Amino acid sequence: MRFISNPYMTMFMHTKAAVAAFVLLSVFLQCPHAFAHGTEQHGAEPGVEAVEPPVLAPGYETLAFPAPVVGTYTLAEIGQAASGEIIDSSGKQMQLGDLLAGRITVLSFIYRSCDDVNGCPLATYVMHQARSQMEEHGDLADRVRLVSMSFDPVNDTADAMEAYKKSFPDSEIDWRFVTAPSFNALEPVLEAYDQPISRTALENEAVSINHILRVFLIDANGTIRNVYSASLLHAETLFHDVLTLDLERNNTNNNQLASASLNDISDGFSIDARTGYSDGSYASASISITQQARSADLLALAKANSLGLPELPELSRLTSKKIALGRQLFYERRLSINDTFSCAMCHIPQQAFTSNELTTSVGVEGRTVKRNAPTILNVGYAKRLFHDGRENRLDHQVWAPLLAHNEMANPSIGYVLDKISMLPGYAEQFEDIYGSSVDMQNLGDALAAYQLSLVTGNSPFDRWYFDQQSDAISEEAKFGFELFTGKAGCVACHTIDERSALFSDFGMHNTGLGYAHSMSKPVAHEVTLAPGVVVTIDPESYAAASEKPPNDLGLYEVTLKPADRWKFKTPSLRNVAITAPYMHNGSIATLEAIVDFYVEGGVENPELSALMQPLSLNDNEKSALVAFMRTLTGDSVTALISDGMAAPIGDAQSLQ
Amino acid sequence: MLKRFKFGTDLVKVTMISICTTVFIGVFGIAQADETCMSPYMSKIVGQEDYVYVWTLGVEGVGDEQDKLVTIDVNPKSENYGTIINSLSVGGRNEAHHSGFTDDRKYLWAAGLDSNKIFIFDVHTDPAKPTLSNTIKDFVSASGGVVGPHTTYALPGRMLVTGLSNNKDHGGRTAMVEYTNSGKFLKTTWMPTDDNLQGAEKSGKYADGYGYDVRALARRNVLVTSSFTGWNNYMMDLGKLMGDGEAMKRFGNTVVIWDLHTRQPKKILDVPGAPLEIRCAWKEENNFCYTTTALTSEIWIIYEDDNEEWQAKSVAKIGDASKIPLPVDISIAADDSLLWVNTWNDGSTRAFDLSDPFAPVETYNKRIGEQVNMLSQSWDGKRIYYTSSLLANWDKKTAADGEDLQYFKAYDWVDGELQEQFAIDFLAENIGFPHQMRFGAHALYQ
Repeated sequence: MRFISNPYMTMFMHTKAAVAAFVLLSVFLQCPHAFAHGTEQHGAEPGVEAVEPPVLAPGYETLAFPAPVVGTYTLAEIGQAASGEIIDSSGKQMQLGDLLAGRITVLSFIYRSCDDVNGCPLATYVMHQARSQMEEHGDLADRVRLVSMSFDPVNDTADAMEAYKKSFPDSEIDWRFVTAPSFNALEPVLEAYDQPISRTALENEAVSINHILRVFLIDANGTIRNVYSASLLHAETLFHDVLTLDLERNNTNNNQLASASLNDISDGFSIDARTGYSDGSYASASISITQQARSADLLALAKANSLGLPELPELSRLTSKKIALGRQLFYERRLSINDTFSCAMCHIPQQAFTSNELTTSVGVEGRTVKRNAPTILNVGYAKRLFHDGRENRLDHQVWAPLLAHNEMANPSIGYVLDKISMLPGYAEQFEDIYGSSVDMQNLGDALAAYQLSLVTGNSPFDRWYFDQQSDAISEEAKFGFELFTGKAGCVACHTIDERSALFSDFGMHNTGLGYAHSMSKPVAHEVTLAPGVVVTIDPESYAAASEKPPNDLGLYEVTLKPADRWKFKTPSLRNVAITAPYMHNGSIATLEAIVDFYVEGGVENPELSALMQPLSLNDNEKSALVAFMRTLTGDSVTALISDGMAAPIGDAQSLQ
Repeated sequence: MLKRFKFGTDLVKVTMISICTTVFIGVFGIAQADETCMSPYMSKIVGQEDYVYVWTLGVEGVGDEQDKLVTIDVNPKSENYGTIINSLSVGGRNEAHHSGFTDDRKYLWAAGLDSNKIFIFDVHTDPAKPTLSNTIKDFVSASGGVVGPHTTYALPGRMLVTGLSNNKDHGGRTAMVEYTNSGKFLKTTWMPTDDNLQGAEKSGKYADGYGYDVRALARRNVLVTSSFTGWNNYMMDLGKLMGDGEAMKRFGNTVVIWDLHTRQPKKILDVPGAPLEIRCAWKEENNFCYTTTALTSEIWIIYEDDNEEWQAKSVAKIGDASKIPLPVDISIAADDSLLWVNTWNDGSTRAFDLSDPFAPVETYNKRIGEQVNMLSQSWDGKRIYYTSSLLANWDKKTAADGEDLQYFKAYDWVDGELQEQFAIDFLAENIGFPHQMRFGAHALYQ
């Protein structure tokens, strides 16, 4: 007498439909001992309560949805299919791996006496159905195989498996019924396939075997490519997966579709800018994060003596190796206390080496940074660094974000140097380039080298102004330039020299924007919740969930002189069209709004720069100024961005 | 497919997965997060759960300051009922968020949205005392740049992990990542973007490439994903975020319908306002799921129409949207009759009657406490547990007078009324911020 020991399973036997189905299956499969003694035994089990009616697995029904289209998808490589000692139904001892080699294999684990309709019989039924489809397909016979392996070496002997095999019609598609020579031989196989079982001894030396039904699809290289459970197992999907693997074997270029779509990118690097988000006119224009990128010869670009730019001050100390090392460090997320933050998380290549998506930055663990991340394009020309101008050398500057608690949060200089020394590949490079181990100076030098190389001039403006190409910019932009250097007075700070233009005096000025931030009281403001959904919110309503916004006094924080309150560095206007949002706190979103701010003369305060005066500009003039500023994008920006996107990103590896 | 049997002195009811078969859902009507939100490929506890595992954020200045898996005894017949019986610290603050069991329910995968680590706890050897079995530390590099592992969702023999962000810009573009149950990386599937729709239909205006939650409707061969926001926003101080006009534009507006078998996106639906949790109906005839939009405070139904086309429709408002109630966790009853919705900002839990799935009606509203976030209901719907924390830097710093700020609360749902059974103040106990809950029971492993 055999039966399933776990009582609830025999609840399947309590409904006519399930019993009928199982009888049919049992007859079909000539499965011995099917459902024998099930009902009364389980009905007698104390404390058992059948609550849900049994239902047949989907594998017995018509597929409820269209089967996947063969060859349009890929199946992940899950892992190597294990081998192990087996005996085939002729009594021959062999390795399971022998059966898997060179053929697409469908492998199931069963035992003959299993009488759970949604268990082993389901697997066998589905494999039988799939085999029928394989036969009809033709020419698969020498490339596919089915294998049913028993969990029960005691009762499922080779002879028993042979008898079981003969209960199925002959077919050109090979179907092996195998067993293990012993429990000891079986166990490592089950472990390898994550098929833990428990056996329950029953009367008459019978056992019940509890396991999770899983059927494995294995490719011709012996790699598991899919795992089916009872709810997934269906002959049609199984068959289509087999055909997909078969097609893959004949077509190694199976990523053709994905590659083709990636190649279609031609619209620069303009990511989903969310223009019109507040008024609802927005439609997405997103670009894949995995879009193709290309490394550039950064040293050659830096040496190109780009039109409109002066010679790079520290060009002579640049080498390709230094730039490459600096580039690797710049994208190294392990340069932060918790391995989540590189320099490029705020100076994002795809966003013109700034962050278009934030007004002010966010550091490690989400800590608040009070200023906007400036672009580092052309940063090698800057005579002062940081919005408050507190630093004057790039190789020194790098240590501030590395050590700032609210940026990369490294606890000490020594910690950074030790960490870099231990990461694979760095020590050798420092030794090769600097002839020494990594130290405070050469780390700064390497990081500075990469940033120095991000040079881009030869903008449309440069070609018009310095190379006299009259059609390089529009008439409107030329009018804008006239205003820029004329009655708008912009050039007073955003300076232009005779042979070059950095559009910055690198001076410190008070426009009143910082004053307004420090001295104004919180007021209700508009918040865009979704495209076209704007509400007005009182900050008090979320005050309990807010930290106190940090203050920012600009240059005063460096000099402690009252006259320096709210003074910030004049930024270069090069590439200004692609480096929104603007100002030290990112509080102005568009170039149009920038012009409006200056037309107003800034914000009145005791330290307001004398250069800040209300302007009299009409709408055409304001538009012309914007048109002019849009001509300042360098011609190698795309190459630099593409190179940055191609840079390897240092993330924590599994072995560390 | 239920079994009742003796465990110790307690009569427990569990569903079982073993015996020559596995559970296949849709047909059995087995549930899930709560027990009604678990993967359909998983055994369920349909009777009295013994434990609630709370994936808890470490907080600077609180206790040992690191993330931990907290085990609470919730079996009323236990002498330890209502107490924390185990706390397992994992090191660091990882932005502990969601967790999920493998399909055999032996291991709990708990992810960190910030550190990108996935902690794999053994919950079957001793369900009362989980141990840390393995830690995946290379999620970002192995996946090719996915950041912010969120939902850990069981598929047969595999774990499907949704991302929230990426390592290139910490924005919202992201992917789904698959692992074997043993923690071996399998594949990365990026969310469809405009330049690479991967064959999907962009049915509306948006294809943002963002991600958040995932659920399977196996009977229709469908995966459903939602969309939140990237690392920049979910890690940022909430007040700073509300004042950042650029950042506020970077929330998800899409739900994607996928082919479950091939993992190919089929259709991108416009669901504006950050659709978060997805809960699919259990009844075989109910081919729909629900999601709620965090920012616009609406319940959306994601449904298959008569032409077998998947559609999205806003079917109910949740509170006063202009006050941003911030619907967070949701939970559907096992019989598809009720949808629970927590609104974080006002600390309320709300029950919506689903008699008409296309017209949910709010029939019950109770304030649970400050910033109520997650809820987990038992399969029979008789017990509901609540926790408070949303995200480390979004959580409130101060509570209303007399209220706990960070808590676990256990309720019974009796005759249409929530009755509090016990509460644990996670700050007073120096534990941290409690986030997601999962249920444990000894009976699962016998």
